[in-house]
Amino acid sequence: MSAMDHEAAPLAREAPRPQAAPLPAPARRSWPQRLRAAAARLTMTTLAGLMLAAIVHIATVLLIPTLSQRDAARAYRQFGAEGHAQLVQLTGNAEGTPSLQEADPNAATAVCGYDLTAGPIRVAARTGALPLGITLQRQGGGVIYAITDRAAIRGVLEFLVMTEAQYDERVANDEEGETSRELRVVSDTTRGLIVARVLAKRPSDRGDAEALATGVQCGLAN
Amino acid sequence: MRILDLAYILGLGASLGLVSAHWAVAGRPLVGKVEVGSWMAWPGSGGRDVDPYMRAYLARGVHLPLGAGEGLELIAERSDDGAPLDGRCRYRLTGTVPTTRGWTIEITDRAGRPFQLPLERASFTDSEIVRGEDGKLSVIAAAAPQAGNWLPLPAGGRFQFRLRLYDTPVSSQTGETRAANLPQIARIDCR
Repeated sequence: MSAMDHEAAPLAREAPRPQAAPLPAPARRSWPQRLRAAAARLTMTTLAGLMLAAIVHIATVLLIPTLSQRDAARAYRQFGAEGHAQLVQLTGNAEGTPSLQEADPNAATAVCGYDLTAGPIRVAARTGALPLGITLQRQGGGVIYAITDRAAIRGVLEFLVMTEAQYDERVANDEEGETSRELRVVSDTTRGLIVARVLAKRPSDRGDAEALATGVQCGLAN
Repeated sequence: MRILDLAYILGLGASLGLVSAHWAVAGRPLVGKVEVGSWMAWPGSGGRDVDPYMRAYLARGVHLPLGAGEGLELIAERSDDGAPLDGRCRYRLTGTVPTTRGWTIEITDRAGRPFQLPLERASFTDSEIVRGEDGKLSVIAAAAPQAGNWLPLPAGGRFQFRLRLYDTPVSSQTGETRAANLPQIARIDCR
């Protein structure tokens, strides 16, 4: 080790010799020049940071619906397993399900979760005297389809929910030259909610409204 | 120095991007908002072509918005003179409501929850209110009891009026509705 040190020392001493001459003029910058360079660098990095922020902002907003674990479709996924819509309480649901936000206290809301992997779902509702609206809400927020009891035929509102592939299959299986009488709604997600809302115009209508909302059938279509 | 620059860019980009995204969808987004008089509505929230900000807002909580053909929700945070709605004041809602099969008017806090007041009367439906001879609507919102259609307010603090129109043709053309077709919100006095 000591021998190596002895050999290395003269080299180190010789090395700075060629640079002993004064530095060339452009390398030695004055303070204003240095400040200007630093400011330019800060501006460039800030601009780059802002562009990255814009990308992060857009990506976050677009990813929230897919990543969210708290949306209505996940909260009420198990509802309606018995083949009919199940009532959503506005405060303090049973089984620890979160309560519905921004809901109308005068409306009875019943929900049925669907999963189209097993096949299309048939939704059937009887209409009554109170205004009934049925919406399809996809997982990750957003209404796919809305229909009211005005569209009912002989007091029954009926439609099928299916994926694009199931729709194509159904159209292919239709009888040639015959018009299909069923209403087909394409859902762009396999999971979602069928939401039945009935407005109880008077407090005494509450029971009727709840019966109408929970009377909405949602089962596998054959 | 290169590493410092890179850290600065990444730090600024990530923090500003995440904070601005959170801020943009924490409440109802500014994108897609339609204002008619004092009333605000987000008609895009009930359709398939919902904008990404509204979709993110809906996905962040347990929301089941009204469908475009099902109805329309209108929210007011200010009275007609532009002042924010406050529980210390008295307000009178007058005028007409667009053609519907039924409507409800509710008093909520700024997150859309009803207040926990001793008197459980957070809302009226169109069948419940008493109308004048001209058939027009007249509702008084105040903390102290009032004659007529009275909606109790909290003793103080901000609140919202939420008008929900069920099965209405207005939902598809909200932007073209005139303010005169919706109830006017007049501030009577303040404590």
